[in-house]
Amino acid sequence: MDKPRILIVDDDPDLRRALNLRLRANHFETTYATDGFSAIAMAQKERPDLIILDVGLPAGDGFVVLDRLQQSAMLSCIPVIVLTARDPQATRDKILKAGAIAYFQKPADNGELLSTIRTVLSPAWPGTVAAS
Amino acid sequence: MNKQDNHVLLIEDNPGDADLVRLRLVEGKTGVEVACVNRLSDGLESLSHDSPALVLLDLNLPDSRGAETFRRVLNKAPGIPVVVLSGQDDEELALKAVHQGVQDYLVKGSFDSKQLARAMRYAVERQALLTSLDMSRKQQLQFKDQFLSHVSHELRTPLTSIHQFVTILLDGIAGPVSSEQREHLRTVLRSAQQLHTMINDLLDASRAESGKTQIEPRCIVIGDVIRSAVAMLQATADEKRVGLEMGLDSRLPLVCADPDRVLQVLINLVHNAIKFTPADGSVVVRACRAETDPDFAYISVTDTGRGISPEARPLIFERMYQDPAAIDDSRKGLGLGLYIARELVHLHGGRMWVESQLGHGSVFTFTLPMFSLAKLLAPAITTQGRLREAVSLISVELAPRISPAVGNWREMRARCLEVLRQCTLPDKDVLLPAMGSSGAGEIFLLVASADQTGAEVMMQRIGEQLERSPEVQSAAAVSISSKPVLLPREDLPLIKLVEETADRITGMCTEAIHRKAMFEHTALLSREWNGIETEKEQ
Repeated sequence: MDKPRILIVDDDPDLRRALNLRLRANHFETTYATDGFSAIAMAQKERPDLIILDVGLPAGDGFVVLDRLQQSAMLSCIPVIVLTARDPQATRDKILKAGAIAYFQKPADNGELLSTIRTVLSPAWPGTVAAS
Repeated sequence: MNKQDNHVLLIEDNPGDADLVRLRLVEGKTGVEVACVNRLSDGLESLSHDSPALVLLDLNLPDSRGAETFRRVLNKAPGIPVVVLSGQDDEELALKAVHQGVQDYLVKGSFDSKQLARAMRYAVERQALLTSLDMSRKQQLQFKDQFLSHVSHELRTPLTSIHQFVTILLDGIAGPVSSEQREHLRTVLRSAQQLHTMINDLLDASRAESGKTQIEPRCIVIGDVIRSAVAMLQATADEKRVGLEMGLDSRLPLVCADPDRVLQVLINLVHNAIKFTPADGSVVVRACRAETDPDFAYISVTDTGRGISPEARPLIFERMYQDPAAIDDSRKGLGLGLYIARELVHLHGGRMWVESQLGHGSVFTFTLPMFSLAKLLAPAITTQGRLREAVSLISVELAPRISPAVGNWREMRARCLEVLRQCTLPDKDVLLPAMGSSGAGEIFLLVASADQTGAEVMMQRIGEQLERSPEVQSAAAVSISSKPVLLPREDLPLIKLVEETADRITGMCTEAIHRKAMFEHTALLSREWNGIETEKEQ
């Protein structure tokens, strides 16, 4: 079976590299985008199985990206996990309403993040049943 | 609101006094226009749509007298300067008015036009100054909040980088690590975690100060929260060889509190206790009911540390307080923990205090309001002065389809509550408030005045309704069950019968919440176990 592909969207190169290493070590394939605009372009081109999305981004922030994904019939089924430094009290509910399936504040616990990724990608997860 | 810079509102019921004021204003060439009313109610009415430059106020009016008069005007129009016109014999009252926010007073019959004009001018200037001071204070507070929120956001990014790369090294993703290197990396990780806690404390303290902390109280088993806190800090205690124990009253009631916030308070107190207790000492967390104060649960953390001096005791809950005598090892943190903890307890309507003797340890105690089931249940489980013939407890459990819960769990919970409300009768059934920890999953408990057959009909309806909700179906697995409540024999007074029934229902609820907690605990353990396995593989 092919390795699941994850699109990492973050403008901080160090965080991208770290996440990349962590995910590859856990048998995922990764691609990345550094701003909102290229995130959507990459999502269209690569059709990843999952997107890990930052909120504070140049050229279209996380909300814009979520909105664009939701509007596209083909991309709206890709699950999005938001990973951001923003205060959950102010942002969490808005993000989930915008269509993300999970919210993690940086620095996130690796175990929890990985277990959420695995569950979302597992065939039992109802969101991906519609996607396949 | 009409702002009228050259208008003065005169509230005065004596026509002679009113004319005199008008005359003085004309004499002084003030150029203001006077609107005169002779009742306070008319004055307040005028202030609700007009905003004059100043109010001249007589204190004794047909519909209000004395201090009440100026209080009501100040209340109605806090930004408008008020000058009181006082009688010869009530200067004392006028002074009191100045203390409470009136800008000035003039004694009737003893001021000339110049004095009146000057008093009015100064009153307007002082009020403008006050308003701008108040604005800048508010702006400063807002700026501070924004600044802290910005700073904490910016600090998190490099901190995340440190956290990520250290865990990458520790987990062996970048190659093998020697045991000495591992030891050093653990120190880096520990320091990064401390920084993380400090950033959170800074935000929490700032929120508490500006009254923005939110709590979501629910009905919880306090013992469960204590067990979680102890489990989380057991390793820290073991590392320092400090014993960490619990002493929980077996007939502990349900309390009404936000489980996440109570956990935060407990972690703070227990962490402090471990920090200030030497090796081979002990820390005990207790929870009990006090006979003298039946509306609150008492939770205490006792340590065998060196105690707190009487001089320091009143200071420890202050922000930034650090024990100057503390050895270097224990002086880590911002000194905000106890301040935040006490603010959180206050928000719940509880209290927090410390008892301590130098050299003999400390006891930190806080109280949380008890949840009274009897009061809530009485109308539903009684009818015509008697207990109903049959009562059942229906429990609706929602387990997230993936753990931790994702998607908008809160919205789903709201949808679920809506369904449950539709399926209950207001005077016969009681939907108990949110129960248990706010961890993964949710449990709703319903006390229904129904026998087993009735309960089954209700369960079926609830089940059908929930099945129709796509939000609920996609996020959670639902299981519904019911149990008849064993009712006490009717040879007791009604109050006792209700209390007895409430106690039994409390027992059943506690059991249901425990079952859920046990299940989650097992799930958590298996996840951790999987984590360990993957670590070994690498």
